[in-house]
Amino acid sequence: MSKYMVDKFMRAVEMSDAEVAAYVADPAAYVDVWLASGAAASAPDRPSDDHELTAAERDAFAARDIGALYALGAHPYLLWHFIEAVHSHEFAAGFGWRDLVERYRAAVLPHGTPDYIA
Amino acid sequence: MAELVMAAATPHNPLLWRAMVEPMPDDLVGVAANFRRIGDTIVELGVDVIIEVGTDHIRQFFSDNAPAFVVGKAERYHGTYENEVRTFGMEYVEVAGHRELADRIAGREVLPEAIDFAVSHEWRLDHGFIIPLQYLTPALDIPVVPIHANSTLPPLPSPRRFAALGEHLRDTVAAWESDARVALITSGHMATDIGGPRQFLGQGSPDPEFDEMAVGWMRDGDLEAAIEGCRYDRIMAAGNVTYQYVNVITALAAMGGRPAELAEATESRFASSPFFMWRAG
Repeated sequence: MSKYMVDKFMRAVEMSDAEVAAYVADPAAYVDVWLASGAAASAPDRPSDDHELTAAERDAFAARDIGALYALGAHPYLLWHFIEAVHSHEFAAGFGWRDLVERYRAAVLPHGTPDYIA
Repeated sequence: MAELVMAAATPHNPLLWRAMVEPMPDDLVGVAANFRRIGDTIVELGVDVIIEVGTDHIRQFFSDNAPAFVVGKAERYHGTYENEVRTFGMEYVEVAGHRELADRIAGREVLPEAIDFAVSHEWRLDHGFIIPLQYLTPALDIPVVPIHANSTLPPLPSPRRFAALGEHLRDTVAAWESDARVALITSGHMATDIGGPRQFLGQGSPDPEFDEMAVGWMRDGDLEAAIEGCRYDRIMAAGNVTYQYVNVITALAAMGGRPAELAEATESRFASSPFFMWRAG
């Protein structure tokens, strides 16, 4: 269930400009609000929409820790686009898309090919 | 009867949308020319409906509901998503569907023996479907039956199921009482890694050996070799999204396993681009 939730969180953020902006503004606070807003936390008769992360997953999202998320089994396709989305506002002179690509590569390279099948 | 007049495979690399513009960069001249060659063939053969086999990139279909094969039964489709407009600079578009052909492919009352399809009446097409259409049919004026093949969220359908899909599409068109001229377009990759350590190397394919074999299967018309060569472990070793190459097995099977007249992994700054084409024999 855990890898599924990691993927669910990344997808929920990355697909929406408003969610990307909210996450970027305060990643730790955003993650905690998301965890508190799942269906299981409110009413058992609502359609299933659970929001659950382990402590390690929560901390990795709070820190935008590329290597940790990759090692935890985040779906690579979703992870790259999530990371790209939540860093692109930093692109400026001296740090651009290619720099982020290489930072990402350096972060995931030590972890080989983790099993990302949810 | 309707006629399957051609089949072709193209890339859907969304980074092309910003990069492949005039003045054309030298490394993308070949990619643009191959899109144009296939697009010109669509015009030359008078195609009036397209079956497009591609892969939704975890936009419409996620792990809460991940079918193997989905046939679009909508009258119209919206194209691309907020995140693709942001990330790739793509534009929102619309394209007509083709309900009659979709019903024949998926079955209206009972599913066909070949494939247990899922169907969708409301499906926003992502870049995997829209990019090929925008380059092949820039006016987006040919109705489309999109078919999603899950190549991103395991468990995935095996390569032999893609061959069964191609044979089913061929037989369905052949049995359709219509004067429609149908093209089968598949959308996919050569060896490609996204989100893994070999993404965006800036020097072409992450696995040239796989690409050479994969071009050969289409050039030589070797369906069994393609099915065997696309084993999950081998194809994932070529890059973590390379499974979308398997979509082209659908085209090869639909064309009876004949050699393709165009078979090329076109090199550029990106992972190499698949271009394959067959005309009806």
